[in-house]
Amino acid sequence: MSITLICITVCSIFRHTATIALATFAVPENITTNASMTLWVLPLTCSIAVIYKTLKLPEIKLVVFVKETAMLFGSIIVFLAVSALVVLVAAYLFV
Amino acid sequence: MSNTAKADSIPLLLSVALLSWLVPGGGHFLLGERKRSAIIFITIVATFCIGLLVGSIAVVDPVSAKPWYFAQILTSPFVAVLGHLTTAQSRVVYGWPNEIGQIYTSTAGLLNLLCIVNASYLAYVGTSEKTGD
Repeated sequence: MSITLICITVCSIFRHTATIALATFAVPENITTNASMTLWVLPLTCSIAVIYKTLKLPEIKLVVFVKETAMLFGSIIVFLAVSALVVLVAAYLFV
Repeated sequence: MSNTAKADSIPLLLSVALLSWLVPGGGHFLLGERKRSAIIFITIVATFCIGLLVGSIAVVDPVSAKPWYFAQILTSPFVAVLGHLTTAQSRVVYGWPNEIGQIYTSTAGLLNLLCIVNASYLAYVGTSEKTGD
């Protein structure tokens, strides 16, 4: 009797969790045009840096891997920021 | 590499490439690169899931966003199920969530293509070393 009750409870919790998890992937986020939306570039850059270094390094050692990935991540972000600044200055001067 | 060795390596290359496509990082796992495969799997799946979280499953649209869909399906053939769901349920998403979701999911696919090519190359190089070429 108690085992059945536990099974029902576990199944119910699993069902509700699955429903909530699926619902989050069924409704889009509300993203408006503002300066903070540029932060969406950070996770993507992080993914690219991680995958690139995973494939490039001859051996995966935690300290070296984190250091190399952080350096690549920083380089990409700095390059993007400089590019954005150049475009901003060009737009200010010529448009 | 001799013709026989080349012929022997083709099934391995194909299986590594196919497994890499089926499960991100699967090819590296098959080659014994456990750490690499775990990092690849977590990163690519997380990137794809962020894309779905931002734009919902409607960003996987095989009908009106075909070029994006070709990049997205490189993540795994299971993405086709999401495409089928989107089409069957007539789901749509507009604006920034659509843009960001598509960029994330497509980048995940393209990163996985890089991993497929790398895993195939590692399999090829490994076979060459074994055959002494």
